[in-house]
Order: sequence, then structure tokens, then C-alpha cells
Amino acid sequence: MTGKTLVLRALKDLGVRYLFGYTGGAIMPIFDEIERFDDMTFLMARHEQGAAFMAQGLTRGALSTDRPELGVCLSTSGPGAMNLVTGIADAHMDSVAMLAITGQVATGVIATDAFQESDVVGVMMPICKQTYMPLSPEEVESTVHEAFYVAKTGRGGPVLIDIPKDIQNNETPADYEFAAENFTPQLPGFLYSPNPETDAIKRAADLINRSERPLLFCGHGVINANAGALLRKFAEKMNIPIAFTLHGLSALPLDHPLSLGMMGMHGTVESNRAIMEADLLIALGMRFDDRVTGKLNEYAKNADVIHVEIDSSEINKNVATSVAINADVARTLEALLDEPMLTYKPRRRWFSMIEEFRTVMAADLEEEISRGTGSGGKLLMKSIVHQLSELTGGRDLIVPDVGQHQMMAARFYNYQTENSWFASGGAGTMGASLPMAIGVKLARPNERVWSISGDGGFQMNIQELGTVMEYGIDIKILILNNGHLGMVRQWQTFFFDERYAGTPMRSPNFGLIAEAYGITYLKVEKLEDVKPALEAAIAHTGAIVVEFVCEPNEFILPMIPAGGGFNDMITSFSMNSPDTDEADQGGAS
Amino acid sequence: MKRRTLLAFMLDRPGVLNKVSMLIRRKMYNVDTLTVCSSRIKGISRMTITLKEDDPRKVEQVMKQLAKLVEVISVKELDTNNSYWREVAIVKLEIEAARLDEFHHRYNFEVLDKKSEDMHILQVAGATGHIDGFLDEIGRENIIEIARTGVSAMEK
Ligand SMILES: Cc1ncc(C[n+]2csc(CCOP(=O)(O)OP(=O)(O)O)c2C)c(N)n1
Repeated sequence: MTGKTLVLRALKDLGVRYLFGYTGGAIMPIFDEIERFDDMTFLMARHEQGAAFMAQGLTRGALSTDRPELGVCLSTSGPGAMNLVTGIADAHMDSVAMLAITGQVATGVIATDAFQESDVVGVMMPICKQTYMPLSPEEVESTVHEAFYVAKTGRGGPVLIDIPKDIQNNETPADYEFAAENFTPQLPGFLYSPNPETDAIKRAADLINRSERPLLFCGHGVINANAGALLRKFAEKMNIPIAFTLHGLSALPLDHPLSLGMMGMHGTVESNRAIMEADLLIALGMRFDDRVTGKLNEYAKNADVIHVEIDSSEINKNVATSVAINADVARTLEALLDEPMLTYKPRRRWFSMIEEFRTVMAADLEEEISRGTGSGGKLLMKSIVHQLSELTGGRDLIVPDVGQHQMMAARFYNYQTENSWFASGGAGTMGASLPMAIGVKLARPNERVWSISGDGGFQMNIQELGTVMEYGIDIKILILNNGHLGMVRQWQTFFFDERYAGTPMRSPNFGLIAEAYGITYLKVEKLEDVKPALEAAIAHTGAIVVEFVCEPNEFILPMIPAGGGFNDMITSFSMNSPDTDEADQGGAS
Repeated sequence: MKRRTLLAFMLDRPGVLNKVSMLIRRKMYNVDTLTVCSSRIKGISRMTITLKEDDPRKVEQVMKQLAKLVEVISVKELDTNNSYWREVAIVKLEIEAARLDEFHHRYNFEVLDKKSEDMHILQVAGATGHIDGFLDEIGRENIIEIARTGVSAMEK
């Protein structure tokens, strides 16, 4: 059998249904085989970066379903592979299991600067969990199986297989055999230890019992372990409030009485103030990123830390731990729920403090949301997201891009469905939303998917409207157009004396663009049209683009400045010159 | 700064050395020495890395991130007081034969070649400190060329 057949046979045996990619010389043999495997559907992205984000979306969307699957993307050598880099680096930062298969020039010309040759393994090594280059057709099948195992075992991550063209075409020896069912990778150093140690559970329980002001942190690990329900049960049983990382959102309903919402740079006042006052942090599946902690030497000074994390290299990396539990979050929560020593406490003082924190910005935010427009009459993102949340009951799937609108979507959508929030977090890659939403929709065809972008990020992968068109992907695409790179503009307003270098931007007529792709389009300029437009988007079968004309001087607050401590939290801001904005919002109609 | 010795065992697969050195670069360490050899078991390499770092938490971080590499089987820090550190140096130097004799009883070296009356190629083996001491005493200004292997280490 040929290497190209074995690649696809392995993918089929591993349950792959979708292949995202883009062809080219060095991957042509594999593409030529796809047609022979009719249980796999190929989707052509319009740019390889799009394919990488579609693969991410598929993995992330599917992990909470009864059919978890891994996203796979394919590209040719050289430029094709280099176009995957951003999407793969993004998956690496966000611990998303996926597989990238790239064609490579033939072994005979590798390292001669052959046409379209790049050292793909060399480039990908630091942004992949593992990289492979099979050098014989016999290696191909076991490599694909090992790659899957490595990608999804423990902390997820992207894995690359770079396959020289001759290896794709060459035949295995006649006696070649491979039994997928019996395959176990020989990786003595790749240890996966999901079970918490009993002793660590006892010590954790002891700290929890002694704590007066404990706080649970819900990180991405909770989502990845499908442990939202367990976390909820544990929090309720122990009466402990929960703060979420960006990627922990949607593990349990955001309006749960114990929820404090998101933590960190744009987190809620109540979660960040609670962190400052807590005497114990119980961190579940997270890595204490700098956008979560702010200045480390001022972070949670009064608190002991119980850190539950499947990747031991994250433990004690940024924050010193009192009890380290290197295990799966779900198994740890089960063990804690079974721990007879743990006792419930009413924690009245703690909760009354928290109630006070909740009031700090509540009135301002409520006022903004109900006002719905800025001083110039343009729409506020907060209000749009809030109305979407009300209209959908918080049950839909949200795929934001990166920027102010992302933080608005994180804060003002009332997540009710477990694993319903798919953001580019660690890398913060503009342009992630549209292609990622395509992958999420394929994983969750019966749920409604909203891609929400700014005018900047939308134009970074705008070409994927072609994919939406060609495959009839039913996603609702919202563009919150404030005529600027809003998040950067906010920093310029706060920290650069309102000098707006490189942030005002003219956009094309998004209506004509949507029309060119045969996609329905609506434009909303008035507050009273927001709800009807969203209703129309819901009622419409198939993809729709809805553009909202938004206020450029809206801020996402609070904000802890980069490198600042929680004491530096900004909760209100007034512009020196709020009405001088003359930026062209673009779009003729 | 404190000198640290890390000992790691790993699968002998392509790219492993690249990954280890990339990780150490990313952590912004300048490696003092790095040696790789095959271990007792076929297919498994043994790597000894020495670098300078005072903060034990940072060392722990590097070790954990090394251990995280798919190919790496184990990593530990060697207790310097409780392990053998050895390296070999080959030195070409200008020295008179008579002067060289003075060192014979104190240093463990071997004359590989005598190029002329005052030009020798020597092999010196031993602990890093031992080799440094030898070079200092013999006078570094006399050295024409030197090749050192880097440290190999084993716990007592
Ligand atoms: C690929 C990429 N380039 C640059 C940035 C830096 N950046 C972060 S947010 C942002 C502005 C995003 O603007 P827009 O997409 O219009 O969304 P808004 O903030 O206005 O909601 C920029 C430029 C980034 N995150 N990703």
C-alpha cells in the first residue's frame, strides 16, 4: 500500500470525518486519495490559517458531545505550511488537540532549498506538542496513530506530520501489516497521570476546611475534562464562590449564585476583588497567565493555593503552590466530593464582602446596557451582546474574535450551555472567529453558532466567507463595527493621551461583500433595530451577516493595566475629548 | 551563580537535541556544557547539561519543561557534592618536556604526541576543577589549541 492511502486509512480508523485544507504540489498525492474515502468530507478553506482554525473549532466544539473528534488540517509544503503557523501556535497556547498534515518536498531534495521547501518541522517544533516526519511508507500509519494519541492525551495540543512527497507515493513492502486496534505507542517518557494522590486530596481538604474565604477558579481544564457539573456540585456542597478564566467560561451557568464571572484584566470587579481578599485559591485546570494575575508579586498575597493541573510544568511556574495536584480536574473533583473530612460553612462574612464588590460597577454597567448607545447615538457593544443573550436565553454557542467585542461577549452573554464559548485566548489571534465558528458548527450541527467579530478581525479571515458559501454553513456572523481597532484604541485612550496611531480604519461595504458571496446581510444603526435584526438572524435559515454600527468611545471596564496589580484596577474613565471622533465608518449604504 | 547539572534520559529520535536546546534558549540560559551519549539501553540517550542558576524554582521549571517533551523519559538534578563530574581535554601547548615532568605526579594526563622539543599534545582527564587547575598552573598563555568534551556526570 502507498503512504497516501495509509494516511487516510489511519485517519478513518481514528474516526475523522472532516478534513480542512488547501492543496498544492507536495500534498497532491494525499488529496488525490481523499475521494476514495467517502466517509470523510473535505472542506476547502480559503487560506490555510482558516483551515487550522476550523480544525480547532471542530475539536473544541466536539469535546463535550458523545462523539469527541479531532480537527485535522492539510496543506502543501512551503507557503502552505507557513500559512498554518498562526493557527497552530494559537492551538498550542490554548491547549487544543489537533493534527496538521503537511506535504513536504521529496526526501531526495530535502535541505537543498527545493521549490516550496521550508523546514516545516523546524518551524513548528516550538509551537507543537510533537512533530513527525515519516521517512518510509511503513512508518506512516503508526505515526498518525501516535500523533493522535499525543495530541489528545493529557493537556491537549497540536501535532504536526510533515510527509515527503515520495513517502506519500511509495509502496510499503508486500508483508506490511498494521492492526489499529492493537496499536499502543512506545513512549516511556510520555506519562499521563489523571488520578490525584490521596495524600494531596487530604491536604487540600484540610486547607479548605481551615479556610474562611476560599475561592474556586474554573479554568480551561474544567471544560476539557467536561467537569462543569462536578464543579457546580462541589461548589454548592462546600458553598464556595467561583471565578472563571476566559477559557473557563461556560463550564457552568454564568448567573449561578456562586459565580463571580470572569477574572483578570477585564474580569469583573467582584472576582478580582475577591481574589485580593481570599485566603485560599482552588485553581482548577489553569496556568495563571499574566492577564489573569497582573503583577505577580502583588497577586493574591493572602491566599494559599491549591493548584489542580494536568500539566505538571504549569504548577509552581507563576504562582507558588501550597498543595500541588497534578491530575485530571474531573477525577480530582470526584475525589474531593468523596472526601468525608470536608465540611460545609455558611461563610456569611465572605459572601457579604462579595455582595459589596458586586455593587461597585453594577449600576454603571446596567445604565450603559439600558441606554444602549453612546453620546453620538451609535450602538454600544455591551447592549448588543446583552440583547443577544436575552433573546437566546444564553443557550447558543458563541465564537468571538479578539478585541473589545470579545471581552464584551465574555462578560455580557449569560452562558447556560456547557462548552458554549470558543475564544482565542492565549494567543489572542484576530481573525480566529469566522473559521473557528465553521469548525464549531460542524461539531454541533443542531445548535446555533454566532461568530462575533470587530471590523478589524473580521477582515483578517474574511475570505472564509467563501467556505461558508460553498458548504452552506449555517452560522450567524455579527460584525461590531466601531471604525477602529477598538481594543488598541482603548489603550491609546487610557495610556497614550488619546493619540490614535494606526487604529482608525475604513472598512469596505460589508453588504456588498456578503452579497458577492450570496450571503444575506443586514445593517443595524439604531438601537430599536438591534433586537429585530437578531430575531431575523435567528429566523433566517443559513448564514447571515449582521453589521452593527458601534460607538468607538465605548470601553470595556474594569481594566487592570498590563503589568499592573489589582489595586490599579480602572473602573471608570472619562475622555478629555469625547466627541472629536471623526473616523470614517466606511461602508457606503 | 550556582552551577547546576541536569541529567536526562530520552528516546534517541530525530530532533530531540534540537528541542532541548531550543527550550533552554527560550528560558534564556546559556548552556555551559551539554553532552549526549548512548545509554545502557539501546534507543535511549543520556544527556548531561550544565548551566548556571541560583533560583531553585527556575531550575525546577526547566526540568519540568524538559520532562514534558514527548521523548524525554526522566530528568533530575544531580547533587554536585554527591556525584562524579568528569571531562576530557585535549591540549596542544608549548612547554618544555622537563617542565611537563613536574606535573606528572599531581595531574592525570597523558602525552599523545610530542611535536618537537617544546610542543606537546596532551590529554587531561578528570573533574572540571582538576582540568582548570592544570591549565592555570601550566599557564594558559602557552596553550595553542584546546578541545574539551564538556561534563559527563554520574551520582555516587
Ligand atoms: C493577528 C493580530 N494582530 C494584532 C493584534 C493586536 N490587537 C488586539 S485587539 C486589536 C484590535 C481589534 O480590533 P477589532 O477587530 O476591530 O475589534 P474591537 O476591539 O474593535 O472590538 C488588535 C489590533 C492581535 N490580537 N492579533
